[in-house]
Amino acid sequence: MKNLLYKEFRLCMVPMVPLFYLFALMVLIPSYPYLVAGFFTCNALFYVFNQNAISNDLTYSVMLPVSKKEIVRGRIVFCVIIQMIMFVLFIPMILINQLSGPAGNPAGVDASITLLGALLTVFLVFNTSFLPAYYKNPSRLGKHFLRSVIIVFVWIFLVEGTMGVSQALQEKVSVFAWIANRLDCFPKTTEAVVTQLILLAICALVYGLGMVLIFRRSVKNFELVDL
Amino acid sequence: MNLLEVRDLTKRYERFTLDRVSFSLEPGYIMGFIGRNGAGKSTTMKAMLNLIHKDGGEVWIDGHNFAAEEMLCKCKIGFVMGEFNCYQKSTLANITEVTRRFYKEWDETAYRGYLERFSLDERKKVSELSAGMRVKYALALALSHNAKLLILDEPTSGLDPVSRDDLLEVFRGVIADGTRSILFSTHIISDLEKCADYITYIKNGKILASTDVDSFRASFRLVAGEREQLEAKRPYLIGCKPHAFGFNALIHAADAAQFADCRVAPADLESIMIYTEQEDSHEESAL
Repeated sequence: MKNLLYKEFRLCMVPMVPLFYLFALMVLIPSYPYLVAGFFTCNALFYVFNQNAISNDLTYSVMLPVSKKEIVRGRIVFCVIIQMIMFVLFIPMILINQLSGPAGNPAGVDASITLLGALLTVFLVFNTSFLPAYYKNPSRLGKHFLRSVIIVFVWIFLVEGTMGVSQALQEKVSVFAWIANRLDCFPKTTEAVVTQLILLAICALVYGLGMVLIFRRSVKNFELVDL
Repeated sequence: MNLLEVRDLTKRYERFTLDRVSFSLEPGYIMGFIGRNGAGKSTTMKAMLNLIHKDGGEVWIDGHNFAAEEMLCKCKIGFVMGEFNCYQKSTLANITEVTRRFYKEWDETAYRGYLERFSLDERKKVSELSAGMRVKYALALALSHNAKLLILDEPTSGLDPVSRDDLLEVFRGVIADGTRSILFSTHIISDLEKCADYITYIKNGKILASTDVDSFRASFRLVAGEREQLEAKRPYLIGCKPHAFGFNALIHAADAAQFADCRVAPADLESIMIYTEQEDSHEESAL
């Protein structure tokens, strides 16, 4: 596993990936759907898969004395690391956003702990759509990515839209008021902090469990592939 | 003990079947794996290495069942599909640094030796190497993790004659100590004439012959006869080529007595393959 991860970072990583982390700066833009910034990490992963297809990474990997299961594990852990780096980069961006800009985000999820949880769900939705499909048919990379982009943007639209609507209608609907005051704001009360931390914990748990299931499904698919 | 033993390897596709392919190779020899494009050479190699799922059969590497001990067997194998064309933008040093971590038996001294012997510059990127140098790099990697069996799929295709000859010399050097063997597929028959000890001939997914090169050659003859002899001789002919004055054909050596009135000559590998494949196309066109 350690050797496969070393291979991922030494041979498979493309220079463009660190550049995609600059999209974390989008969290500093006032009134912006910040989850779109998270999507760019998924886009970076696509560049990795695409470049690796060109460089025959799978051909090289399957000839190493490792099992197909290990190959999948190495790549999925690599994807998680890439996504977690973006997750961590979001934290200072959220703090700077709150210190420098006006409160609230009419375009969607506010820069908050909730945004971190929502970011994990964006990653999970992408991974669920993309990774098992890729390991079922590695040669249809573009098709898998295109479908995943559509699904991810529908998810982003739903999450951002829910938060945007909550803010707009918080004075008319009590549920939206609760969302706006507890979830979709930079937490300034203990209740809001606790609520958002619970949400983040749930999202992290779902992400973790989801990645285990994605790994299992991907291994199952890859075992059936003729290279 | 055989270094490689393939038993009844079978893979079924909708329009092609690799049909109970069997052959074996002892340490210290080079086996040429020949056949037309689409005959099943690459499919056989991939099925041997579990890159595609076989429908039947077994592969044994140095006494170990590949299916049961895949990791151990992979350590004993160096496999190159064509030239080494992975990670084109990476330097050889980078690729080697990663590769060596996967092999407990990696021999850095041997690796340095092969780099020098093959005149490989580790600072170069894969994309900067010629086709011949890429094959040599793949060989250097394989030999440095102490691979006993090199399986090379069309390693000489795309190389100029000088580079091919150079590479074939390298092959001979690799097996010189009698502990390693090479199985390489090719449709360049002259390569086999130069370096193969054994030959395995596959046609339409079936093994036609797997024997030493001399026996294989000796089991055929080339014949040339007059036009009026053609019909009487036709049952013995393989891939007959009629022309204005008579015919040329291949025959089994065992039938040579029937051709005392014709010109008979030893057969070379290329002629054997051409006439054998032509026989098939005649049958197909007749159908």
